[in-house]
Amino acid sequence: MTARSVVPAYVRPTPARVAGMPARGWTLVLLVVMVASLELYARSGAVSRLDLIPVSEMATRSIELLGDRDFVVDALLRSALLICVSFVASALVGVGVAYAMSRYRWIHRAMKPYVNVFYALPIFALYPVMVVMFGTGMVPIILLATLFSVVIVIANSLVGFESTPPIVTKLARSLEMTPSQQLRKILLPSALPDILAGLKLGLGYAIIAVLATEFILATTGLGQVVNRAYNNFNTVDMYAGIVFVSVFALLANLTLSAALSSFDWRRR
Amino acid sequence: MNARSVRESHRGASTDRHPGSPAWAPPLVLAGLIVIAWAVSSSLADSAVYPGPAEALESLWSDLSSSRFLGSVVDTARVLLLSYGAAVVIGSVAGMMLGLSAFWSGAALPLVYALNSIPKIVLYPIFLLFLGIGDMSRGSFAFVSGVLPMFLIMVEATAGVSRLHLKMSASLGMSRWSLIRRIVVPSVLPSLAAGMRLCFGLTLIGLLLAEMFSGSSGLGYELLRNLSLARVENIMGQVLLIGVLALVPTLALQQLELRIRRRYEVTA
Repeated sequence: MTARSVVPAYVRPTPARVAGMPARGWTLVLLVVMVASLELYARSGAVSRLDLIPVSEMATRSIELLGDRDFVVDALLRSALLICVSFVASALVGVGVAYAMSRYRWIHRAMKPYVNVFYALPIFALYPVMVVMFGTGMVPIILLATLFSVVIVIANSLVGFESTPPIVTKLARSLEMTPSQQLRKILLPSALPDILAGLKLGLGYAIIAVLATEFILATTGLGQVVNRAYNNFNTVDMYAGIVFVSVFALLANLTLSAALSSFDWRRR
Repeated sequence: MNARSVRESHRGASTDRHPGSPAWAPPLVLAGLIVIAWAVSSSLADSAVYPGPAEALESLWSDLSSSRFLGSVVDTARVLLLSYGAAVVIGSVAGMMLGLSAFWSGAALPLVYALNSIPKIVLYPIFLLFLGIGDMSRGSFAFVSGVLPMFLIMVEATAGVSRLHLKMSASLGMSRWSLIRRIVVPSVLPSLAAGMRLCFGLTLIGLLLAEMFSGSSGLGYELLRNLSLARVENIMGQVLLIGVLALVPTLALQQLELRIRRRYEVTA
């Protein structure tokens, strides 16, 4: 832009390119600059190898981990299984509770305040209690991860159920539909976009809960791999584990987003 | 935490008024039922690892009279206040700056969203390596857990400032500073309040997780210490205390949010 405009930048139409590059290109540039500066900083010798290793080493080591049978079976598959179980449980329970809340006013009024404040409560404080009761196996992790992710599913599905147009509910009544017909033919399809948004967040929350609980206290699992490497001063494995977990979480989120948005009728 | 969940929590904070019994009755009944179920099941189980509510409160009372425990509570509160304050201020100011430029939001946001979807707890060892065990590392970790969502909320809110208002300020020839003070800040206040509420819970969770992983004082540390001593009734009591400590500021922030929304929210 050579000619200076009197129109301030914030009301001008968004430029398609800045310095000849679209926004996506700049995203890539930012990413490359960040990774490269980390790499250079680690290689410059200004920082101890015990504190930071070059990004390239993190990446190669995390790819090596994929070939390690113990890592794949004990950590990766186990964590993935825990995440799947908690996600499915919270999806089923969450949509069910939201339906009950939208159907019965009393349940709605009893539970809504708790749904509103739930994420202000540090629910991970309950993890030690669950460990004492159920041991350090899979049960406390699944319970906590389900509890942590179910509320966001409830909150979103409830918004979906409540935004069903009243005219359609009236139509259902005049057609004398049974409650289950109403649920299958009207409520679920109409609430679907919001439920899907809730499920997407729910998966993110389930991943966070599983990895955090494994990280704090567990015998094995992805989170525990990072914890153990840190405690053994094994910086290479620790960074490799962190990179692995980050990529794993990103891929899981992206895959589910892509899978879910193909069901979303609002985006078709 | 994306724009949608932010919107949802906007709606979530509004309490709908129904005629008849007061709004607080059903939630209180539900809480009472849960406490009764807890008391009955624990007296039936009669197990050393499943204390009832009375034992939990009793041990909380004795904990509160120990100066070491009170020191832990004060420590956690101090670190929490500092990191929460920093997260709100830095997150909202930086978010507003970026949000004013649609192009750069488009370029930078994918990276921030990706960063935000990583389970941050696995990054905690990096904080420990660079900052050592202590207030700095857990405080910075709590700050990072809170600042990213706050930043994202504020970018989305600033990007959503009415174009009509922006055009008006352009035609009045307002300076950049008065644009921010008179147009942007009042328009984003409702989101700022919602963000402050969310950010509080996330900062607290981050801090407790950090303390549970490694610490020499703080509520999270006390929880895990009691776990290794197998004193479940103390853990239960402390969980109750943490719940109360988290609820009071959250309810206050909810009230603040309601007031701000009544005054500033633009209803199209």
